[in-house]
Amino acid sequence: MNRFGIRKDYHGYLFITPFILGFLVFGLYPVINTLTLSFTDTTLMSREASFIGLKNFQRLFADDFFMKAVRNTWVLWILNFIPQIGIAMLLSIWFTSARLRIRAVGIWRALFYLPNLLMPAAIARLFFSLFSFYGPVNQFMVQAGILGEAMHFLQDISVTRGIVVFIQWWMWFGQTVIILMAGMTAIPIHLYEAAMVDGASGFQMFRRITLPLLKPILIFIFVTSLVGGMQMFDIPYMLTDGRGSPVYSTMTNNILMYMKFSSSKGHIGAASSVGVLVFIMTSLCAMGIFYFLRERD
Amino acid sequence: MRTTYKFNSILMRVFVYIVLLILLVITIVPIWLLIVNATRSTVEIQQGLSLLPSTHLVENYRILVSKGISMAQGFSNSLFVAVASTVITVYFSMLTAYALVVYDFKGKELFSNFIIVLVMIPMQLSIIGFFHYMSRLGLTDNYASLILPLIANAGAVFFGKQYLESMVIHELIDAARIDGASELGIFHTVMMPLAIPGAATMGIFAFVASWNNFFNAFVLISSFDKYTLPMLVRTLRGDVYRTEYGAIYLGLAITIVPIIIIYAIFSRYIVSGIAMGAMKE
Repeated sequence: MNRFGIRKDYHGYLFITPFILGFLVFGLYPVINTLTLSFTDTTLMSREASFIGLKNFQRLFADDFFMKAVRNTWVLWILNFIPQIGIAMLLSIWFTSARLRIRAVGIWRALFYLPNLLMPAAIARLFFSLFSFYGPVNQFMVQAGILGEAMHFLQDISVTRGIVVFIQWWMWFGQTVIILMAGMTAIPIHLYEAAMVDGASGFQMFRRITLPLLKPILIFIFVTSLVGGMQMFDIPYMLTDGRGSPVYSTMTNNILMYMKFSSSKGHIGAASSVGVLVFIMTSLCAMGIFYFLRERD
Repeated sequence: MRTTYKFNSILMRVFVYIVLLILLVITIVPIWLLIVNATRSTVEIQQGLSLLPSTHLVENYRILVSKGISMAQGFSNSLFVAVASTVITVYFSMLTAYALVVYDFKGKELFSNFIIVLVMIPMQLSIIGFFHYMSRLGLTDNYASLILPLIANAGAVFFGKQYLESMVIHELIDAARIDGASELGIFHTVMMPLAIPGAATMGIFAFVASWNNFFNAFVLISSFDKYTLPMLVRTLRGDVYRTEYGAIYLGLAITIVPIIIIYAIFSRYIVSGIAMGAMKE
């Protein structure tokens, strides 16, 4: 009852109905359908499909490709996430420091954020061009005498992985700065003042005040980055030949799923089983982080 | 003692500015090279690096068109999908968020938590089941399959809820009720005008997300005349030995420059919007 004595609360149900219907039709049903398909040998070409139990999953574990894709995805995500959170944390501390008084924080921050809005597919193609044999990076390095002669960067496993990781870092550190700073400026100043009266050092204040109070924000960054990272596709796909070259070293979960989907027969049953396993792995990790690290009060 | 402290402080500031400048160069140079190279001829690009624009923009565009890559068609396709996605996302997400902020109903808490769970679930991994289902409905190679799912956009609802909670609107709603307005009418005529800044921010993010979306379009859309820009970008790849570099850079620049312009105009909304999308509880 609201204070005018007119019951309007059923409108709440009415107003969330489109969302719920949209979720059931376009969210939940596709998930169930993917799960169902993963137990069948459905292909794009055939009209009929039969139930084959866990065969798709057995096949995934039988060849090394699936585990390779999972390993690659984790490696590429972790190598990007550590410098991303590290540099973002450093910049956030500098930008909010009363002692350093950095000028034009808003402008720095806005510029660092820019890459995040740009199309990942186009950025990967851009880096493909920049690092190609006749590209600007080779030109620069040969002219500057860093390299004796131009090199095929994208045929080298570590360099290619490094470029994928770099692009991810480049696109996300600015966003992480903005989120961390929002968390830091929300911490009441009197906590720091009290700590200063007690003679705490800058590092102690960071350890004992900033970090614990930032925990919910850090969990948010961690979880959303993980969920996004496990579905990494555009950048490794566009940077390479669509198979995660060289020698499948940048083949991620979604690239493998797409390869099964787009194979000559279109094995959507097998592709679904990749989706199902990665879905379970990612959701469990995300939920695990969220519930175990969360403040229990 | 005092002077050394001050000296250290200045030294630290110099160090910080140097690091910031290096990061700025890393951030801007790739984008700058892209835009500059879009105006240079392939010969110029092969001759060496330059940070200054040249005069071959139109020529590069002609080459792109002559290779059968219709950026204009792709641009208008992307624009249509992005605008429709933005409208659907903003309207339905605000409606859902409004229900969560304004009404009390059983299961509200559960529904709010469910939204947060949805934000954390990798829904894109069900793309195969989604494709299969859409093909049975005859909706593959149809923009509806890209736009309609946004009726249930959990991230946008979360953002809308945070935004509406920061506005005090209950008095206005009660006043409108006394005037005899319907509940949906109140949402349209009282809440929406007030929430324009938040709706604009949500809209910008929805627009950019749709504009940049490659994977879903790549799986769902098949005919060439329906290709969106990221799908055309995929075709911008000559072989390594003889390529029209200038044209390729131009094709990439066409996909990126509109977003840079939008950002230049709305950067303040966008930056404040990111912080609001992050969880606060």
